[in-house]
Amino acid sequence: MVEVKLEGIVKTFGETVALKGIDLHIKHGELFTLLGPSGCGKSTTLRIIAGLDFPDEGHLYFDDEEVTYKSSSERGAVLVFQNYALWPHMTVYDNIAYGLKIRKLPKQEIEKRVKWALELVKLQGYEDRYPTQLSGGQQQRVAIARALVVEPKLLLLDEPLSNLDAKLRLEMRSEIRRIQRELGITVLYVTHDQEEAMAISDRIAVMNIGQIEQVGTPKEIYEEPKTEFVASFMGKTNVIPAEVVEREGDKVTVEFENFRLDGLTYKDKNDKVVIVIRPERISLHPIENAVAITGKVDLIEYYGFFIEVVGLFGERRIIARTINDKDVAHLRPQGEVTFYIDRNDVLVLPKQSL
Amino acid sequence: MKVSKWSERLFGTPLFEPLVAFSYIFPLLYLIVFLIVPVLSMLLIAFTYDGNISLHWFKSILMDSYYIQLPPQGEFAQKLTTSTGESLYLLRGLDFGVVLNSLVVAILVTLLTAILGTVFAFVMARYNFKGKNFFRIALFIPLLVTPFVNAYVIKQMFSEYGLINYIFHEVLHILPFRIKIDGLAGVVLAQAMAYYPIVYLNAYASFINIDPTLEEQAENLGSRGFHLFRTVTFPLALPGIAAGATLVFIFSLEDLAAPVVFHGDPLAKKLMSYQIFSKFIYGLGERSPEIAALSIIMLALAVIAFLGIRKYVGLRQYAMLSKGGRWKPRISEPKPWQTLLIYLVLLPALLITIFPQLGVVMLAFSERWTTTVLPQGFTIDYIKEMILNPDVRRFIVNSLVYSGAAVILIVLLSITSSYATSRFKGILSPVLESIVILPIAVPGIVVAMGYFYFFSAITPENSPLNPTSLYGFNPALVLILAYSIRRLPFAARSVYAGLQQVHVSLEEASMNLGASRWKTIIGILLPLISLNAFGGAMLSFVYSMSETSVGITLGSINMAQAPITAFMKEVLMSAAGSINIAAALGVLLIVVQITAIVVVNVITKQRYSFIGLT
Ligand SMILES: Nc1ncnc2c1ncn2[C@@H]1O[C@H](COP(=O)(O)OP(=O)(O)O)[C@@H](O)[C@H]1O
Ligand SMILES: [Mg+2]
Repeated sequence: MVEVKLEGIVKTFGETVALKGIDLHIKHGELFTLLGPSGCGKSTTLRIIAGLDFPDEGHLYFDDEEVTYKSSSERGAVLVFQNYALWPHMTVYDNIAYGLKIRKLPKQEIEKRVKWALELVKLQGYEDRYPTQLSGGQQQRVAIARALVVEPKLLLLDEPLSNLDAKLRLEMRSEIRRIQRELGITVLYVTHDQEEAMAISDRIAVMNIGQIEQVGTPKEIYEEPKTEFVASFMGKTNVIPAEVVEREGDKVTVEFENFRLDGLTYKDKNDKVVIVIRPERISLHPIENAVAITGKVDLIEYYGFFIEVVGLFGERRIIARTINDKDVAHLRPQGEVTFYIDRNDVLVLPKQSL
Repeated sequence: MKVSKWSERLFGTPLFEPLVAFSYIFPLLYLIVFLIVPVLSMLLIAFTYDGNISLHWFKSILMDSYYIQLPPQGEFAQKLTTSTGESLYLLRGLDFGVVLNSLVVAILVTLLTAILGTVFAFVMARYNFKGKNFFRIALFIPLLVTPFVNAYVIKQMFSEYGLINYIFHEVLHILPFRIKIDGLAGVVLAQAMAYYPIVYLNAYASFINIDPTLEEQAENLGSRGFHLFRTVTFPLALPGIAAGATLVFIFSLEDLAAPVVFHGDPLAKKLMSYQIFSKFIYGLGERSPEIAALSIIMLALAVIAFLGIRKYVGLRQYAMLSKGGRWKPRISEPKPWQTLLIYLVLLPALLITIFPQLGVVMLAFSERWTTTVLPQGFTIDYIKEMILNPDVRRFIVNSLVYSGAAVILIVLLSITSSYATSRFKGILSPVLESIVILPIAVPGIVVAMGYFYFFSAITPENSPLNPTSLYGFNPALVLILAYSIRRLPFAARSVYAGLQQVHVSLEEASMNLGASRWKTIIGILLPLISLNAFGGAMLSFVYSMSETSVGITLGSINMAQAPITAFMKEVLMSAAGSINIAAALGVLLIVVQITAIVVVNVITKQRYSFIGLT
């Protein structure tokens, strides 16, 4: 178990600046997730922490020890590769025992620990198979067992579920969570899937183009995104450019396309803003303290357990989501629709130049 | 540990790692010391006259009509009459002077092999026909190297009463007269017959690797037949064909076997390779600036061709559009005229080109071959003699030892250089990458002369390492070094290909789990590339055994320590023994080569990776 600190980590590959100065603080025994679109620098961050790449600038600490330029083999931060990187010429047993043999443990101890690891990932009986004789999910478990068996200070997982099919993905997700809780180790998890990140993490750092946009618990990230990017990355949402017309503390009134809404802002002092409204927070029937805006029905989409109504407000499309059939029973294509929106659900954020 | 900007720039590792540095430095130094410096040391001699830097030697070569003869002299074909009164056309070629002769021969051989190789490759890649498997196997036969003896058989085939006249004049009556091919024409013929499969293999690989959807798209747009071939297929395959043809150009330029075999005709001697060779042999001990200048001219021609093709192929990487997956090749049934072409033109051509190797085998098992179509009188005396006569056996043992030692060095050099260039991005990587394949561009006779000047300059006079030593020069070290340099590209390519198939994360995972780089290389990397290394080692072993240029020059100074090829040359040039014993050694080499091919095929389950330039 270890606490990890990154301070001002910068990494360039030739012309591309992969990391523009990363600051992170990962606590003891935490399952911490780096979330961001492909190419934003997640793997690079992970590789720097694992000691497989070295930063151009910045410092990396495990607890109070600086490890920025410590070689990978001495770091004890074990990475599970996205492609698993199992050695094809070794059996499952030999793959898992490898790190223990390197540490020159006695044979019996090695056997005991490999057995323990196999049980942990529920792969008893597969010792003598070769990696090519295993399914994707099994290969992934071997990779995790191989990492865990050496009792790493820190476990690094690079998109561990991205090569699995949807059903297995859910299963392995809870497996990883279970193992992490059981062993209480610090885990740094990388994914581009916001739903996966929400489900598994203690805390999340959202990354975009080599920078951290926001760090927080899944609930904070989802409900109080601090930037337009975070808001739009965390699932389907309405992001609407708007202008502040009235301001009183953190309460503001904004205007877009001749529609006015009340909202909340954290710190923004500009008048050009974006407003973010989650579809499920828009009500299709009157509620207390809500502002009502009326537009035209553009589209009604049935998703099974919920329904989305796309309303047209001037030129602007806004999505509302409901689980109640009755809410849409009276709606007709091109007919009128009224959205009811509470001030607390309208986030006013600085406009980002993306 | 501390980061080192210096290590990062040179070797691509921010932390200085001795093992990585070694992987760069060892092959780099080795090639600099044993290839570049010796060859450059000739520059010094070639550009010095009377103690001053001068172009004297080059001028005297280029002004001399012996070296440059324009317009050419002689008659390409002469009409003679045989003792029985039949007309005989003797084809010898024109004399352009030594330097231009070499160039003309190399260009003609390149063109002939390019046409023949491409036609065979296209037919093999795109058509299904009866006997295709025979074609596939037979096309490898001319690649079996039997120095001197196969050129000897070709000379016999195209002689006055040889096989060709027998079939086409006596039996089929297609030829109304007899022909005899000798001199430079003989050299062109012998080289073209031996080298066209090199173009074939490269061209075949190119045709196979063309994404069929590209041709389908063109067909879809209305292109078909020859138009499709000319506008889409051929341009896409051209880089591969050109790479093979360039290799042939260099091989032709440096070839000594054919000129030695045809040296009965003085015209065949008027080639750069032969001139360097004979001047060296007859003026031994003399460090002639003229030889050095001639070597430099030859080297320049080869290097220009080599750099040209590298640039060209580099610019046209689109040819190998393999996007990972294997596709279904476009194979069709030949049209009637194509069937005729296959059986009436290609099949006879194929049979003629595989005959030399068959002839070598027959020769090894026969008593004599004078004016008859085929060798006469079955005997196993020569095979016996090869095995039992200690004087002959010695050459075999010498060759085995030198080749074996060279292969050990080659494996070490291939692994270190490929590891460095495939895994790290230091500024030395591209340098190393180029220098490792550079030996392809340096003609063997140039290596031999470079070594001669180099070793006679740096080793103590009269020590066994000095080729001018009066007390007996021991060529062992020089030959091992020469083999290891000349055959390195074959193994290095194979190992490099193997390393590219191993994902770096396999090594990273090992180091990340606590293993050192050394343990990672030993435990993870080497087991995963062992088959490639083995294949490369076999290939370079086989071609070390049949190495000619250095073997018959430096290697023949002291016959007690000479390799097989030096002995074979002695037999052909001075009738020191019978040609049949040389053929027996040729058979031995064939056996070694076939064994290697089969073993590599069985063990690595890969197609026998052959000669290529890129
Ligand atoms: N070894 C490398 N050489 C050059 N560019 C790289 C290398 N590794 C990563 N990059 C670049 O750095 C950026 C971040 O990559 P990466 O960390 O792999 O992103 P992610 O894992 O978030 O998808 C990308 O633009 C990528 O192209
Ligand atoms: Mg990644």
